[in-house]
Amino acid sequence: MKKFNAQYQSIITLIARLVVGGVLLVAGGLKAFKPSEAASAVAAYKILPNNIAHVIGYALPWLEIAVAILLIIGLSARFAAIVSGAIMVVFVAAIISVWARGLLIDCGCFGGGGAIDPAKAAEVHRTYFLEILRDLGLALLSLYLYFFPYGRLSIEKPAKINEEQ
Amino acid sequence: MAKQKKAATPKSGDKFTRWLVIGMVTLVVATGAIFSVISQKAKAEESFAALKGFKPGPAITAKVDTANGSGILLDTGASKNLDLWEDPQCPICNDFEKANGAYIDDLVRNKKANVTFHVVSFIGDESVSAANAEYCAADEGHYLDFHKAVYLVQPALENSGFFTTKNLIKIGSNVGLTSQSFIDCVTKVSKLDQVKAAYDSMTKYNVKGTPTVFINGKLWQRKNSAFVLDEFSAAVEAG
Repeated sequence: MKKFNAQYQSIITLIARLVVGGVLLVAGGLKAFKPSEAASAVAAYKILPNNIAHVIGYALPWLEIAVAILLIIGLSARFAAIVSGAIMVVFVAAIISVWARGLLIDCGCFGGGGAIDPAKAAEVHRTYFLEILRDLGLALLSLYLYFFPYGRLSIEKPAKINEEQ
Repeated sequence: MAKQKKAATPKSGDKFTRWLVIGMVTLVVATGAIFSVISQKAKAEESFAALKGFKPGPAITAKVDTANGSGILLDTGASKNLDLWEDPQCPICNDFEKANGAYIDDLVRNKKANVTFHVVSFIGDESVSAANAEYCAADEGHYLDFHKAVYLVQPALENSGFFTTKNLIKIGSNVGLTSQSFIDCVTKVSKLDQVKAAYDSMTKYNVKGTPTVFINGKLWQRKNSAFVLDEFSAAVEAG
């Protein structure tokens, strides 16, 4: 495993950066220009008071975009990985909280959001489960990037690789 | 796992890059959020265009009927009784209002029925704010006007930051509610007790959603999936 990692680390890092960055870029991009949708989606979680939820709704898409760009170009990837990992952990916690309280909402992950017809409860619960899996996966990739932030096609290079080149 | 070594840049340069990146990210997020707030405000302004030329009707005395789920009662002395259950943010209530609102106004204004508006607020914080303002408007004798105006400007999305104190006062000012007592009532959320009582009474009256209508105490069930004025008015006449 160690050897495998040593051999392919730079490629794994690149893939992880592109996957996490790509998902964040799409998610942020779809919400950034629909502020009322984003604000309404965060409020639907009923975790924070509306006015704070709205500020998050306005700011979060832009944070996602900024972090996505850092990851994709490979600048301060370790810092970006910490932020993306933290975002994913918060998302997972929020979805678990919503599920536990029996609320039926659309996560608003990629735009949209808000309450859902109670008739679709089973479908919504399955979606919650898949969303948690997806966000945990992205959190794990972020964790990997925390340990191995430097890879192929990265603006920043670690000391060792630079010496080899 | 052993962490990968830091970038080759000298220590001071590395720190500089980090702060530069953090600064850039903060800048992007702040600019983006401000842009979002501004475009949001502009959108709210646009929706107020729907209230241009709004003609408020004559004042009607309203009272809060504590014996009937703390609903807003417009007592006309008629023999017919109508109970409407609505949430200010509910989009289907807006469909109901579009189809039957003018007819219900006529029932009240021409004393053909007593109408009780049960303004419930199960959609969230902004429903509570809007419901409170509706009770304030009832106090001022302009419940019908304010109620109509709320639906005219109702945003498509729930709890998206539209029904703020400021915007509710603005809705009021567009329908002639400019008195200091109304503004204070909205600002201080003075009617919270009634708003809560109305919401809590949903269970008592077995109301599971909005809009729900009782005609002379009997639950009205529509046959068309959309709201049709003829169907509703026939049901009310048949009573």
